[in-house]
Amino acid sequence: MDLEILVENVLNAVTAGVTIGCIYGLMCIGLGLIFGIMRIVNFAQGELLMLGMFTSFYLVSEGRILSFLGPYWGPFIGAMCAAPAIFAGGAVLHRFLISRVSGLRTVGSLDEGHFGQLVVTLGISLILQNGGQILFGSTPVAVRTPLSSQAFQIGPVYQGATVFLNKAKLVAFFVAILTAVVLYVVLEYTRLGKALRAAADNPTAATYMGIDVDRAYRIAFGLGSGITAVAGGLMATYISFGPFVGFDYVIIMYSGVVLGGMGSIFGAFWGGVTVGFVQQFSALVLPPQLQNAAIFVVFLMIVLLRPQGLFGRSAERA
Amino acid sequence: MLEVRNLSVAYGGLRALSDVSLSVGERQFVTLVGPNGAGKSTLFKTISGVVPPASGSISFAGEDLLARAPSDRAHLGIAHVPEGRQVFKTLTVRENLEMGAYPKAGHARWAQTLDRIHALFPILQERAGQLAGTLSGGEQQMLAIGRGLACAPRLLMLDEPSMGLAPSVADTIFERISQIHREDGVTILLVEQRVAEALERSDHGYVLETGHIVLEGGYETLLADDRVRRSYLGLTEA
Amino acid sequence: MRQGAGPSLRRNLTVLAVVAVVYLLATVFVTNSYYQLIMTLVPVWALFGVSWNILSGYGGQLSFGHASFFGIGAYTVTLAMVYWALTPWLGIPLGMLLGGLAAVLIGMPTFRLRGHYFALSMLAYPLAILYVMQYLGFQEVSMPMYRADALRYMEFAEPRIYTLIAVLLLIGGVVVSMIIENSRFGLALLAIRQNELAAEAAGINARRWKMLSLIVSGMLGALVGGFYARVLLVVTPESVFGMLVSAQAVVVTLFGGVASVWGPVIGAAILVPLAETLQAELGTYLPGIQGVVYGIAIIAIMLLSPDGLFWTIRDRLLRRETPHGVGDVTAIVPAAGTDGRLSDGWSLAPPPIPASARRSGPLLQVDRLSRSFGGLRAVSEVSFEIAEGEILGIIGPNGAGKTTLFNVLNGVLSADEGSARLDGRPMLGKKTYEVCRMGVGRTFQVVRSFSRLPVLDNVIVGAYGAGMSDRDAIARAAQALRQVGLHGRAGVEAGQLTNKQLRLMELARALAGNPRLLLLDETLAGLGREECDEVLAVLARLRAQGMTICIIEHTMHAMMRLADRFVVLDHGRVLATGLPRTVVEDESVIEAYLGKKWLTRREA
Repeated sequence: MDLEILVENVLNAVTAGVTIGCIYGLMCIGLGLIFGIMRIVNFAQGELLMLGMFTSFYLVSEGRILSFLGPYWGPFIGAMCAAPAIFAGGAVLHRFLISRVSGLRTVGSLDEGHFGQLVVTLGISLILQNGGQILFGSTPVAVRTPLSSQAFQIGPVYQGATVFLNKAKLVAFFVAILTAVVLYVVLEYTRLGKALRAAADNPTAATYMGIDVDRAYRIAFGLGSGITAVAGGLMATYISFGPFVGFDYVIIMYSGVVLGGMGSIFGAFWGGVTVGFVQQFSALVLPPQLQNAAIFVVFLMIVLLRPQGLFGRSAERA
Repeated sequence: MLEVRNLSVAYGGLRALSDVSLSVGERQFVTLVGPNGAGKSTLFKTISGVVPPASGSISFAGEDLLARAPSDRAHLGIAHVPEGRQVFKTLTVRENLEMGAYPKAGHARWAQTLDRIHALFPILQERAGQLAGTLSGGEQQMLAIGRGLACAPRLLMLDEPSMGLAPSVADTIFERISQIHREDGVTILLVEQRVAEALERSDHGYVLETGHIVLEGGYETLLADDRVRRSYLGLTEA
Repeated sequence: MRQGAGPSLRRNLTVLAVVAVVYLLATVFVTNSYYQLIMTLVPVWALFGVSWNILSGYGGQLSFGHASFFGIGAYTVTLAMVYWALTPWLGIPLGMLLGGLAAVLIGMPTFRLRGHYFALSMLAYPLAILYVMQYLGFQEVSMPMYRADALRYMEFAEPRIYTLIAVLLLIGGVVVSMIIENSRFGLALLAIRQNELAAEAAGINARRWKMLSLIVSGMLGALVGGFYARVLLVVTPESVFGMLVSAQAVVVTLFGGVASVWGPVIGAAILVPLAETLQAELGTYLPGIQGVVYGIAIIAIMLLSPDGLFWTIRDRLLRRETPHGVGDVTAIVPAAGTDGRLSDGWSLAPPPIPASARRSGPLLQVDRLSRSFGGLRAVSEVSFEIAEGEILGIIGPNGAGKTTLFNVLNGVLSADEGSARLDGRPMLGKKTYEVCRMGVGRTFQVVRSFSRLPVLDNVIVGAYGAGMSDRDAIARAAQALRQVGLHGRAGVEAGQLTNKQLRLMELARALAGNPRLLLLDETLAGLGREECDEVLAVLARLRAQGMTICIIEHTMHAMMRLADRFVVLDHGRVLATGLPRTVVEDESVIEAYLGKKWLTRREA
């Protein structure tokens, strides 16, 4: 009997870990583009996630522009619609603020502009969080879909142990995978994607090739923002959220990106999946309040225990 | 084709170039020599637009280059093969070449130029799918030159292509550069430390010392002048 | 205490006293209790900024998690009162103790990280504690009331008394901060912030100073937190461990001025009333306006005056004044004056070589040293020796491995194989600052100066690195400046020096540590011919005084006249060794520099 419960819990943690993990993975890809590849330390990434949630919320809630899509399709299409909106927002942020503390301007400076980036993005984060409170109010909201209370039932697999697959999370999972694949194809195989990677790899040499590095960075920052926003829109279908929700996820995102190895989009995705797993499995043994604390501990362990080689660039240059 | 007139550049309060003038004619092979810190790389960077000049003018094919944005200059047909190679380490060899072909001219002639690059440097074809960061120094240099060629340039600027390379590899590189000049009719502006090898191939040479052009002339003039030797080895005076 | 610190400290203290008295007088006229609270919060947040500034401003270790210490102080005071009826007068010191302990526990792992990884990790600590506090059920803890025993429990009906205490605490914090700023501690932190590697090469044990700054900073942070809890009477995890708390410290300091004791005070005096008033007036329609204002404030300040108001204003004022600090060092170094001897027996004459050291063996002995990066052998089986009093020139073309060799010798990089001995004692395997203390001074290819500090202070860093007392360090630094001929510029900010002067200043910094061997990396780079000659003359003078020098140069040009011997490196290997004349005629050397065609052509 005990074993049966254990098996059921573990199996459900695995499925939840996979579905939530992939959504986290998508979220981490966004930061992976900005932090892992362009090496811009963005503190406001959590707020981009939050904006993704609210964009979707305001598009598909009752009486809104996309509410005709209904509660089944609407929330997921809303999540995808967050991408272009937040892409534009991210590009504008980069154009007017981030570009002044990153990119060619700071190449070769003492700390490569990290101090400025941390401070400016902290400012953006404060403005978006608190501005969000003014605009959206502080009462938590949710994007409602009947799918979030429905589940596929698999099993019983082992005696009475049954696996439940939440339908909202499952659809979100597929959308996340699809988005990640599209982004991967864009970066890997298109001219634009290659130019973005070249600009991130060596901005000076990219200029010699005739690539407008400022523009490339702007697009990459927009993409990173938009991708995280999609993940936010997807998460909005199964959690309730307020303007301060982003904060809980910033550390998760950084954990994923660092865990996956800096500079790799794929890595960031797997890092996110891993963090999702850790979170779901910690739920088996820890009280719910400590789940987030567990993620912070994991983050610290990742950062501290990974050999210096992983952070080679920052360590060698110091 | 390239005209640099009275160019001065200051770098963090430091004068890197003072009143430098030089010209490169269509299909010429021009070499610039001088000790380290003389300002050779700074000159290249100013032509490419990465470093802004304090005064002076640069024109390319009759056009005022300083009025163009740095990223536009490659599109005019100027390829800069930078010091230290600077290949895109996280991109594959083929992707590096594709980035070289980013300007329209390179884009349009991609198939021919790729064949030509592969003919010059067969190793780049063999290693097409490999990440550039995993290549050896010599291979990276070949890639950097290939990447420069990919935009079908009118002017190829090479900054110390022999740096840190074993002599035999450096010889190959020089041979290829000559070939590019002879067979493809590309104008070459070369900065080199291996003075004799470089000057031997060029139509004209300049000696740059502490930001000034101190000597210019043909191969024999430069090789006969002891200022070249002194620049590097510091003889005569003592 | 460092040179000139006395008068400036006295002046600063006077300003502080005047400001405090005026501020306290102003409180008399404030009767609205909300504004009275703001009057208390201004010094509270200013002190928290001061605490953050010690770690992140002076030391440059950017922390976004200073709420850890604030919260620990706040919860210690509150819980100690709830469970043990402990008075805040004791609770606050207990909180400081725990804050200091937390600093050690946090610092030990986290200082292994640098830059943004450090900043991000620091962020995780208060959040982790926040969740633990929630889990433990300390959602909202109120302090018990002790009306009968008000004084004992720091429970005053008159709110102005809190303002008074807050101001006194701030004065204490500012004084601590001033003492740090004007001591070797502060100088070490500034050096680390500017360039940790250069600081270590000057003999500074970076890890130790960083840890010390975190402890002081953590204790001050806990002090503020504890007092804040007492003022507000109730703590919640969000209000003391939350992001906005950490942000307060960062925001007031950045706004007012980083790495200046006045920065946080100015920042808090402007931003706290502004944000609180906005919150009070508009908070009902625009909740969160405070955060928005803070966000806008730090973005604006970062883009418009990245170092903060204090520095921008100061720089403006300074530019208007005539350039100051032309004074000769002799004027400010009384101790070194007449008899030429310093307290610990340092002579003003160049340090004589101890008799025991005059030995037949070489001073530096490098044996088959190798170091690879990936597949590339940057240094390959390099062997050479330097005799006492010799100048050895290490030359070679670009990428020959010269700088890597230096980095291995002074402990920045580890060696793969081989050995290096200074006077018979092994150098390899030691930390950079330890190698410096063995008597190896070093300069860098790219000069790293502490641009806001006077030249003399820049040089004192080197003397402190060698562990001298304040008095000796000042005297030694002044002497080193005289050795390189920069004594006339001692009081000038390093940022105003020319390239040549910067090179000489860096040389003086290395000299100030009383090295037996100097490793100079391209000291002549970027200098014009005449400037080059001047620096060469200084080096020749040092040699005449018995200094042993190993100098890297690209071109043999200037070195021909200076060096006693050359070691030529190419592709990481020793290509030739010997007298300059012989080496420049060596065919393999000419080939490495000019190519083999040169030889065949010239001979033909």
